[in-house]
Amino acid sequence: CPSGSVNCQVSLGELFDRAVKLSHYIHFLSSEMFNEFDERYAQGRGFITKAVNGCHTASLTTPEDKEQAQQIHHEDLLNLVLGVLRSWNDPLLHLVTEVQRIKEAPNTILWKAAEIEEQNKRLLEGMEKIVGRVQPGDTGNEVYSRWSGLPSLQLADEDSRLFAFYNLLHCLRRDSHKIDNYLKLLKCRLIHDSNC
Amino acid sequence: LESYIRIPKGQSAPGKPEIMRCRSPEKETFTCWWKPGSDGGLPTNYTLNYYKEGEELINECPDYKTAGPNSCYFDKKHTSLWTIYNITVKATNRMGSSISDPHYVDVTYIVQPDPPMNVIPAVGIQDGKPYLLVKWSPPPLADVRSGWLTLIYELRLKTEGEEWETFLVGQQTQYKIFSLNPGNKYIVQVHCKPDHHGAWSEWSQEKYIQLPSDFRMKDLIVWIF
Repeated sequence: CPSGSVNCQVSLGELFDRAVKLSHYIHFLSSEMFNEFDERYAQGRGFITKAVNGCHTASLTTPEDKEQAQQIHHEDLLNLVLGVLRSWNDPLLHLVTEVQRIKEAPNTILWKAAEIEEQNKRLLEGMEKIVGRVQPGDTGNEVYSRWSGLPSLQLADEDSRLFAFYNLLHCLRRDSHKIDNYLKLLKCRLIHDSNC
Repeated sequence: LESYIRIPKGQSAPGKPEIMRCRSPEKETFTCWWKPGSDGGLPTNYTLNYYKEGEELINECPDYKTAGPNSCYFDKKHTSLWTIYNITVKATNRMGSSISDPHYVDVTYIVQPDPPMNVIPAVGIQDGKPYLLVKWSPPPLADVRSGWLTLIYELRLKTEGEEWETFLVGQQTQYKIFSLNPGNKYIVQVHCKPDHHGAWSEWSQEKYIQLPSDFRMKDLIVWIF
């Protein structure tokens, strides 16, 4: 406990700093992993045309522009972040295992999948702390989306299987960016009074 | 069969248009530009259609005017992030029509800000040596205060006839450069990009700063006993 600190508690600002660093890092890794996969396995297969409407988190209604994000109450936005994070627990766990079965998967992809899974858990813990601080007493009622995509990652047909990976990584890149964007917004709103 | 189709001399259906690029300056609106194919020698009309991921509805471009010819401007109301837009352009004239290949866009990945503004270089003195202090503001359209958009900056400078030297600044809007040559005149520019995706802005206007060649030390001496 540093001398002079009250209650020996990390400040909310410090918690947000850590959360934003983590979410930034997770999104960075997710983008790199998507790009590597795209370059190596998806070239010329037109996956992007099929990757529409295919994210398991699509059922969670999240803000899609600045105005929506600013109008939503910060407690609701925090719960949405928790919901999205929680929706990725299960798919990330399976991704780490299944990605090892891709033919000649480079180590960089394997390593990133494991690192993202690990860091996502840490971010979730951090966010639970933040939510507990911002709205004490009210915990764990956020909705999250179930993922049922495991069979598609194990399909025998290579093209279909690779598309399933492509889609999952595309969704991961999208959702990790959403989370990073919302957290940066929340940090400016709650810690810096919207004057970052 | 061809002999039954009578094509007036020099006139034909339009060539296929091509969507060249889409850009968002601030993650709140965006514009797409296309290159027309041949017009077939006839007055040709262009329509841009799009549909958004998760919606069945096909929409037409909301604004052909704001961003100039062969463009479509999507204002805030028509711009969503984390959503794929499937966009096509159709050229039509009296002889027929032709449609571009579809262009898939998620606004998240096409942000290119305007250059930073009010770049001001100044000379400071530390330990009797001159340093350059450069300050600037984010581009006016970018809402960095709310945290909706986070920008990082890069600064470059050179003296006449030398190569540019570039410094990655990060999110700060000022930067100090030490170990410059007194007496030289420097040119300074700054550009910016979103913290994750997108592209660097153009460089800001060139600003000049003359470093003094002689420093009077008398005000700076610290006596240590």
